[in-house]
Amino acid sequence: MRKFLAILVCKLGRAVGKLVGKGSSMPGKFALKICPDILARVQLPGHIIAVTGSNGKTSTVEMIAAILRAGGKTVVYNEEGSNQIEGVTTLVLTHASLTGRVRADVLLIESDERYAAQSFRYFHPTEFVITNLYRDQLTRNGHPEWVYDAILPALHPETELILNADDPLSSCFARGRDRVKWFGLDRCPSDTETPTGVYHDGACCPVCHAPMEYDYVHYNHIGAFRCTKCGHHKPATDYTATALDLGRGTLTIDSSITIQLAFRSIYNVYNILAAYAACRCVGVAADTAAGVINNYILKNGRMQKFTLGEHRGMLLTSKHENSIAYDTNLRYIRAAQEPCTVLVIVDAVSRKYFTSETSWLWDIDFDQLNAPQVQRIILSGRYCNDLAERFSFTDIPREKVTVQADIPAAAAELKADGSENVYVVTCFSDRDKILSQVVKEA
Amino acid sequence: MELKIIHFYPDLMSLYGSYANVSVLRRYLEALGCAVTVQAAVPGEGADITGADFLFMGAGTERAQRFAAEDFARYGAAVKAAAEDGTAMLFAGTAMELLGASVTDKDGETYPGIGLASFTTVQGKRRIVGDVYGVTDLFPEAVVGFMNKCGETRGVETPLLTGLSLGFGNEAEKGPEGFHWKNVFASELTGPVLVKNPRLLETVADAICARRGISLPEERPVFPYAEAGYAITAEQLKLRAEARQ
Repeated sequence: MRKFLAILVCKLGRAVGKLVGKGSSMPGKFALKICPDILARVQLPGHIIAVTGSNGKTSTVEMIAAILRAGGKTVVYNEEGSNQIEGVTTLVLTHASLTGRVRADVLLIESDERYAAQSFRYFHPTEFVITNLYRDQLTRNGHPEWVYDAILPALHPETELILNADDPLSSCFARGRDRVKWFGLDRCPSDTETPTGVYHDGACCPVCHAPMEYDYVHYNHIGAFRCTKCGHHKPATDYTATALDLGRGTLTIDSSITIQLAFRSIYNVYNILAAYAACRCVGVAADTAAGVINNYILKNGRMQKFTLGEHRGMLLTSKHENSIAYDTNLRYIRAAQEPCTVLVIVDAVSRKYFTSETSWLWDIDFDQLNAPQVQRIILSGRYCNDLAERFSFTDIPREKVTVQADIPAAAAELKADGSENVYVVTCFSDRDKILSQVVKEA
Repeated sequence: MELKIIHFYPDLMSLYGSYANVSVLRRYLEALGCAVTVQAAVPGEGADITGADFLFMGAGTERAQRFAAEDFARYGAAVKAAAEDGTAMLFAGTAMELLGASVTDKDGETYPGIGLASFTTVQGKRRIVGDVYGVTDLFPEAVVGFMNKCGETRGVETPLLTGLSLGFGNEAEKGPEGFHWKNVFASELTGPVLVKNPRLLETVADAICARRGISLPEERPVFPYAEAGYAITAEQLKLRAEARQ
């Protein structure tokens, strides 16, 4: 009876919530109050795929859903990204019958890494994708090992893990487990010999802290790692990017399928690989997956093209407090051929909580913007001085850098002058402050 | 004048932009006309810290911190002697805990610090995170920063920050924070505390120079972006602290 009531309340709550434009976690919260173990009492689909990690969750989940649907499977997933237990409860109950049966082939869940253990207390995923573990929102998450320890209890022994072979830390989840599938990227032309970036999370082995060595590095500390003492190393991969040419935008998976990349960034490659691996694990054919991923344009709006006066621009959404998200977008700009201006905005560090914490700026490798095609760099937003102080410790010529605290003023100055390409690097919390000043392209 | 900085475990204890403390200190000392060398101390290799003008260790994860503690034990006597002798040093983030008598990790295992001070730290499963706004006896301006730790440190008799109006101190909400004795500066304020607090940077630089018999000039080096950044953060945190009262 409580189960029926919880489902009913959740469904009603969701319907009302949609009408008034409220978030998707509240109905689940009420349902959990009525019936705390409701998630153990419902009948879930045969495949439950969870995705967690520091970067790429939302994009990976979106691609998995698209591929599964192309493969003829019905999929239920949290498109709104409410990824804690309340949101997961809303998702499940909204798609359940009043008797508690979820009508879908696959339940697909983007899970907050810190709350995964709570979300999967009453049921467990059949496949669990962990994209990576980096320095991310340290103001909330502590540090990557703290997050590792938080995820570990969420991993049920029966769950098949789908892990990133190139990440020294998240690959440790495989220790002592049999059911693991690996995705990873072979050596490719854009690699470096040693880790890049201003800090070296690949310097010391996450297991024994001895020095690590690399055969090749794809970016930052992601690549073919090998501990000099305990033997922790990049494992052989089950789903492999066997060739990658970011310049041409081509990616070959398992030496057999070639994909054209709509967005030529290394993290797009990893999101594709993770999605591909997950879908293959649940029985989707390689060709079906390739057909969807080929030229796939993400619908979550992380990349937004626009015009501003004579300028053509692209907004590269980069999570504040996440140096690797910044670094990968800065690397994308560094690879650009045409002359450009880069606008970096830090105004509100977070949209969800207050903080004046800016130490993460020191973890970002802004020296990547020290490239001839980057003609001008504008620093804007409330924390533009912190940005400027950080930039004063780069080798970028001072005359290229200007500081304009006011975002509309920075946009107006850009609009009035020049026609070079513009890249905007900022977070969800600040992106609308610039998008309101430009003409967005569809 | 040539000055020597020892940076302990720059790769291992590197969270939250810790290295930037050394970057801004070096820039400040160079602006005073000093030649500065920075030497990294790497686990297992041992470094000669005699004659060093400044010792620094930054924040690390709890596992990295424990690994660092094992190696740092070899420097215990030398660091204590240097501190007694007035050498300036900064231990930021979890590095501060290694100066004390012991650290107990979240699994309940206890390991020794170097015992420069008698305080002890007990780490737990709760993460203590949040902005910090406090005062020190060293200068009139407020100290700003961010706390990100899982330990409570008891028995500090001479804190660096004598009181907080926002944030968690050594062992209590709004309690005293950090440790200061002679020219030893320690704080769990993570990230580059010297970047965020130009007055603290000046204080540390003064301590380094004074020991070499030089006093800071009347006209101090000024870095406008650092000053402006500090002013905005201080204003934001003051408003936040007032709103919470």
